[in-house]
Amino acid sequence: MATETYSAGRTEVRVRPPLWKQPRKWIAGYIFTAPAITFIVIFSIISIIVSLYISFFQYDVISEHSPYVGLGNYREALFEDDLFWRALKNTFLYVLGVVPAITVFGFLLALIGYKARHGRSFFRTVYFLPSITPMVVIALIWMWLYSPKGMLNEMLASVGIRGPNWLFDRHLALPSVMVMSVWQAVGYYTVIYLAGLADIPPDFYDAARVDGASWWQEVRYVTVPLLRNVTLFVTVTLAIGAFQVFTQVYIMTRGGPGTATATLQFIIFRNAFQYFRMGYAAAISWLLFIAIFVLAMIQLRLNRSERIF
Amino acid sequence: MDQASTLSSTSRLSRTEPTRREKARGAGGQVLLYLILITLAVVMMFPYYWMLVNSLKGPRGFTANPYSLVPDTVSFDSLTYVWSTGRIGIYLKNSFIYAAVVLVAQTTINSLAAYAFSRITFPGRDTLFIVVLATMMLPYSVLLIPTYLIIWRFGLANTVPGVVLPGFASAYGIFMLRQFFLNIPMELEDAARIDGCNRLRIYAQIILPMAQPALITLGMFIFMSEWSSFTWPLVVLSDWKKYPITVGLSLFRDEQSLYWDRTFAASLIATLPLVLLFFAGQRYIVGGISLTGLKG
Repeated sequence: MATETYSAGRTEVRVRPPLWKQPRKWIAGYIFTAPAITFIVIFSIISIIVSLYISFFQYDVISEHSPYVGLGNYREALFEDDLFWRALKNTFLYVLGVVPAITVFGFLLALIGYKARHGRSFFRTVYFLPSITPMVVIALIWMWLYSPKGMLNEMLASVGIRGPNWLFDRHLALPSVMVMSVWQAVGYYTVIYLAGLADIPPDFYDAARVDGASWWQEVRYVTVPLLRNVTLFVTVTLAIGAFQVFTQVYIMTRGGPGTATATLQFIIFRNAFQYFRMGYAAAISWLLFIAIFVLAMIQLRLNRSERIF
Repeated sequence: MDQASTLSSTSRLSRTEPTRREKARGAGGQVLLYLILITLAVVMMFPYYWMLVNSLKGPRGFTANPYSLVPDTVSFDSLTYVWSTGRIGIYLKNSFIYAAVVLVAQTTINSLAAYAFSRITFPGRDTLFIVVLATMMLPYSVLLIPTYLIIWRFGLANTVPGVVLPGFASAYGIFMLRQFFLNIPMELEDAARIDGCNRLRIYAQIILPMAQPALITLGMFIFMSEWSSFTWPLVVLSDWKKYPITVGLSLFRDEQSLYWDRTFAASLIATLPLVLLFFAGQRYIVGGISLTGLKG
């Protein structure tokens, strides 16, 4: 009821609301955003402060007092904890393996799929299915594929090769998890690349064709450069996700054999919720955050310097 | 939302005529192309097919021939056994409750905020919005521990509110809906305001109906990610009666690793609702993903 209209003979007249009703205009803005802001403040902003705060304490939830240790937790992780370095190395291997593989396969698959004249939406659905399946389900099924008497070894046996024990071999466990992760994520990024391909104006290809460009030259000098922003988006989001890999490792290998598949998120989880070393775990999570941040910055910098591939 | 197909069909018309050599290469190319696509489709579908087949062999059939691609006799024993323990039903019910509560809460809370950020001018609006966007940069990893501590301090560990509350607002959802709301013409609203509608009525009766596709897309994403979420419920819950299906399934790994047929059956039950939802709302999901990659 802020404004009223009535016909005064010929023209419509808008009556301005009295002044005391004016502020309501912007009070509505606060009322509408209040619920969302409340949750974001509690679970993002206060969370971050709590996380940083406890990373300077030896905090274990249970004991009465939590001594202040300053940078002690960080020092312990960086200089005294071999497992931290092992996990950092595993995590980096995982990121450096999985991110380029998913990006390249996703791009190539989109390129091929885009050229298909029929059934494009069928293939898109099939490739997309793994990315909507709960990771727990995928990890369980692949555990069976990888198991000593699983499908993979059965296939190898049929051509006379004795398959290894994939998830219990120090050198094969991490690559096995990586292969599964690539299989799981490729379809999602194919869909993103397909949308990118659809956005390229055909004139570019016409021009390339007039100049007699081969298929490979078209891809190299037209498609890849024009999709640069999509590629940046894909690699950055993938890297951020890959750095925090947890569910696959937790279900399939529990960080084993030994420490072969212990990732940063896995040791954070273990320290926080099994050993209750919350402060120490929080410190490691900040080191992980720094690693993500540095890599993202490098990616953005590379993107500016003209050469991605 | 199927931009890809419409665009390519028009683009093929506008291309310069291919030469005869190109046509020949095109035909051969198409064959090779489909070979690759079909091979990969088989690779993608194989684990699913596997899950289905091994759920239908029955315990005896599976033990007798775990590698056969077709069950000798179709038996529902594995499925009925898994179901009869009663646990799966409880897990499924929990997953549905968590996903539904978060879905309703998030669409409401996010759309209210998105409406204010896109259409109401108020002091500090842009600063607030930038703060909201900045929270998108925070990795889940850093938030996991403090979120647990906050929930635990409120006495909500191992409770239903404890599971769902942290998911009630999302910067991504607000951002996405705001983008959509900005494209709804202001005139519609002006007309309503002249007629004396208040903000809430405009939001409920004009904006929400107009934004239905965006809300459905967001809703599907929320439901699917809640249904699949594993780490948070694993951390916050200790009582199996409150476990969602993902955490419940992970117990199969330890309890029943000798009974793979049951694991497959339970996995199938856990996946089915999502697959059905995906087929029902594929347009929205694929459209939504195309948007994130490009306009983001």
